Amino acid sequence: MKRRDFLKLTGVTGAGLLLTDLGFNAAPVEAASQTIRIHNSEEFYSVCTFCSCGCGMICSVKDGKMINLEGDPDHIVSEGALCSKGAAMAVMPNSDQRIRNPLYRAPRSNKWEEISWEEAIDKVARKFVETRDDYWISDETIDGTTYKVNRCDAVSFMGGAQNNTEESYLLSKMSRILGAVYVEHQARV
Amino acid sequence: MTNHWVDLKNAKVFLIQGSNAAENHPMAVKWMLEAKKKGAIIIHVDPRYTRTSSIADIHAQIRPGADIAFLNSIINYIITNNLYDEDFVINHTNALLIANEEFDYQDGLFSGYNDGKFSYTNLSWGYTLDEESKPIKAESLDDPRSVFSKAKEFFKRYDFKVASDICGVPEEKIKLIADTLVNNKPGTICYALGMTQHTTGVQGIRSFGILQMLLGNLGKPGSGVNAMRGEPNVQGATDMAMLFHIIPGYLAVPNHDVVDLDTWTSRTGTFRRTFMTSILKAWFGDHAQPENDFCFNWLPKKNGRENYSLFRIFETALDKKMKFLYIMGQNPMVTNPNLNLVHESLGNLDMLVSVDLFMTETAAFWEKPGVDPSTLDTEVIFLPAASFLEKEGTLVNSGRMVQWRYTGIKPVGNSKTDLEIIDLLFNRIRELYQGSSDSKDEPILKANWNYEAEDSPSFSEEVLKEINGYNLATGELLKGIGELKPDGTTAAGNWLYAGIFANNQNHSKRKDNINDPGGLGIYPGFAWTWPGNCHVLYNRASCDAEGKPYDEANKCIWWDEEKGMWTGYDTPDVPNRNDGPDTPNGKRPFRMAGEGLARILAGPYQDPFANQLLPRDSSSVPADGPLPEHYEPFESPTENVLHPNVPVNPCVKYPRIPDKQPIGTAADYPYVLCTSSMAEHWCAGTQTRNMPWLNELQPETFIEIPKNLAAEKGIKNGDWVKVWSARGEVEAKAQVTHRIHPLKINGKEVDVVWMPYNWGYKGLSQAASTNYVTIDAGDPNTWIQETKCCLVNLDKA
Repeated sequence: MKRRDFLKLTGVTGAGLLLTDLGFNAAPVEAASQTIRIHNSEEFYSVCTFCSCGCGMICSVKDGKMINLEGDPDHIVSEGALCSKGAAMAVMPNSDQRIRNPLYRAPRSNKWEEISWEEAIDKVARKFVETRDDYWISDETIDGTTYKVNRCDAVSFMGGAQNNTEESYLLSKMSRILGAVYVEHQARV
Repeated sequence: MTNHWVDLKNAKVFLIQGSNAAENHPMAVKWMLEAKKKGAIIIHVDPRYTRTSSIADIHAQIRPGADIAFLNSIINYIITNNLYDEDFVINHTNALLIANEEFDYQDGLFSGYNDGKFSYTNLSWGYTLDEESKPIKAESLDDPRSVFSKAKEFFKRYDFKVASDICGVPEEKIKLIADTLVNNKPGTICYALGMTQHTTGVQGIRSFGILQMLLGNLGKPGSGVNAMRGEPNVQGATDMAMLFHIIPGYLAVPNHDVVDLDTWTSRTGTFRRTFMTSILKAWFGDHAQPENDFCFNWLPKKNGRENYSLFRIFETALDKKMKFLYIMGQNPMVTNPNLNLVHESLGNLDMLVSVDLFMTETAAFWEKPGVDPSTLDTEVIFLPAASFLEKEGTLVNSGRMVQWRYTGIKPVGNSKTDLEIIDLLFNRIRELYQGSSDSKDEPILKANWNYEAEDSPSFSEEVLKEINGYNLATGELLKGIGELKPDGTTAAGNWLYAGIFANNQNHSKRKDNINDPGGLGIYPGFAWTWPGNCHVLYNRASCDAEGKPYDEANKCIWWDEEKGMWTGYDTPDVPNRNDGPDTPNGKRPFRMAGEGLARILAGPYQDPFANQLLPRDSSSVPADGPLPEHYEPFESPTENVLHPNVPVNPCVKYPRIPDKQPIGTAADYPYVLCTSSMAEHWCAGTQTRNMPWLNELQPETFIEIPKNLAAEKGIKNGDWVKVWSARGEVEAKAQVTHRIHPLKINGKEVDVVWMPYNWGYKGLSQAASTNYVTIDAGDPNTWIQETKCCLVNLDKA
């Protein structure tokens, strides 16, 4: 039995308990555990999104809503522990502070306007293409020699330390194919 | 990290320097305490007495920016008193190689300094080569021409007295730390941004490296130089090259004069050419052919004389050269130093795109209190992103372990995953270029970019497979780095990840926490670690010249004579597992360097194994010297007693924009400010300051002021304090502390104060951003800013 299964059976979800032998009839304990909050929820594994320890998390979902988050006792690094930041993450998908729609702020405006995804992506793509076309550097002369350089120094991309690896890869790939050299992220600061 | 988190339990001594691990990497401390139960000793060197100091056996309070002087004195003590691991030094480092006879240093400068150019010509830092272009080996370490003798001479200037005067740690305490490191092995070094956020960041880590080379503390369980990385996936983002100077897998972005793939290979080596052709195949598919140099010239080429770091993104915006900035999950209006400059830059952009979860100070820079939005022309688009809990994909922890994150909930509102957003944007841009015959648009129109997946799990796996790579003839996923080919028959987005999807199985999802051969905490069946599931990098160095473990009780890998292969508890970090310890490949424990050895003197060298025009490997060389030298921070409370004429790093050009980057002096700004993060808030605070529980724990920013200074200024706990530097001013509440005491530096008393930097004017908890005060001078190798020490003045508000 994995530690996690044992803990579920006893209805204890906190870390730090080490019992080697139940020593009592499990049935009533199991019955009592039916009342715990995560009863009848679906679980999924995640990994914490702060520092770089990579602690294991177990998230519980009921009716499409995340109702609990706790450390994964079967994780080799964290063994069920989470720090204050990791433990607070249950709020993330339920926070009313999250932005839910694309927003646009026009030049000199003092407010945000909600816009559609289609409009937002179109605005970004058009501005990018216009900038790339206007400031494209095909050749550059350095010390009297002209080189083919194929880049644009008026566009830049930033970010990745918070994103999944695949997302960083795809942004890295896209920005280079588009001809950007200003590609950076939080590792620098 | 050279090693990994669980491996910390194997150490007998810890040197934690430049890190408050107990707050910022709690699991590190969990495994340190595991080691402590078995008698391990913990040393903490830091400007403050922190929660980490409270678990330490020895705590040394050091002046911010003086780490190199401290470390170099320990190195000097070890060399002078013959306390080094001689077998390790002879077999696994370049100590015996004969240095170039032109190599020299005086008055703070190494040979080859280009006056007025803030740079070196580094040829004299290399070796004396034989007719085959290989380094000549000395007979003994005592040979005055050897790297070892040169280093001994260099470090001789750093005795305990000199170091103590510079760094403020008493002589006897430095000696105690040195003896503790020498007498307890294996020992590991753990550091974080406290070491890297300096104008001498890289050289500080070089001091760590040299110290561990001398002690034989590399490649073994419980050893290593371990960078505890600051963000959840900074490792993954760095691997995938969200940095201007590399493309995925740490391959150099070509400079303007790298006219073709052969020129690139002549500078970086045939070893890396395999990875370059494979990535070009991944990006350009069938269009990349040997006849067209695999579309090498479709990659943008940077001007080799320019720097493209994120500091330059903002600085080039000041004179309206930068027009468009797309930010995916970063908030520079809190995390960058010298925020007044950043704010002005954002207002100069044509368009700013911010992709984030919550409103950020960056996206809302035009809402900054006191700013009139009608004066700011920038168009801003905010794209709401799904959080990590609402999507699937991998992240890479500090020990290079790649783990899968699942989801069971939908993205909040109409937010989307970053994969989806990037895909939408690229496809829209490609549509807009449809029909173009301009050669500049060819890479976009012909890019290998046809992702089929719709939902998050399958999209992420499709991309992860591309990263892992394919054998193009069979269509099979690659099983490891060894299967990559230079001839265009393999495609792989990042060679380091080859094998993560071997046999069509997503290895990042594995969860075997039972099988741990050797009991070292490696758990080879838990997730997947790059490269090739190797957990302890350079583990060949855990064995002697014959391939026998130095320490049978702490063995990791070894040469199995009977089977004719390297084997062990971890994946052996060797070029070829069947090449024995007596072959050239069997003697390359540090195989990413041309020499294959750990480098005490880090000069230029190319391994001529392939041929002299296209060498196999090329060693990287620090811009600011082959050995670590102490320079004062750009804002320092004292003079440089070693070389007053070259007080600061001579390779750092600062200010870059003189009217925006003033340098304060100790006369006007007498106190040293050190900044860092805390257990309750993280980085810009964009996420954590929107978590009510965390705001209850740490509701506002503050400044830690030593008791003596607070008394002098009449400041009491909880008073509002005004803090100002040459660049900006902030207010914060005082926390008067016993945990920082004044230091005696070169005969004078110096006071250090400390602030967290995690606040801004958005989110549920709002307070002043410390980074208005901090300095944006940066290390000449990494361009990381000196946020660990600048000068400030302060008073009761």
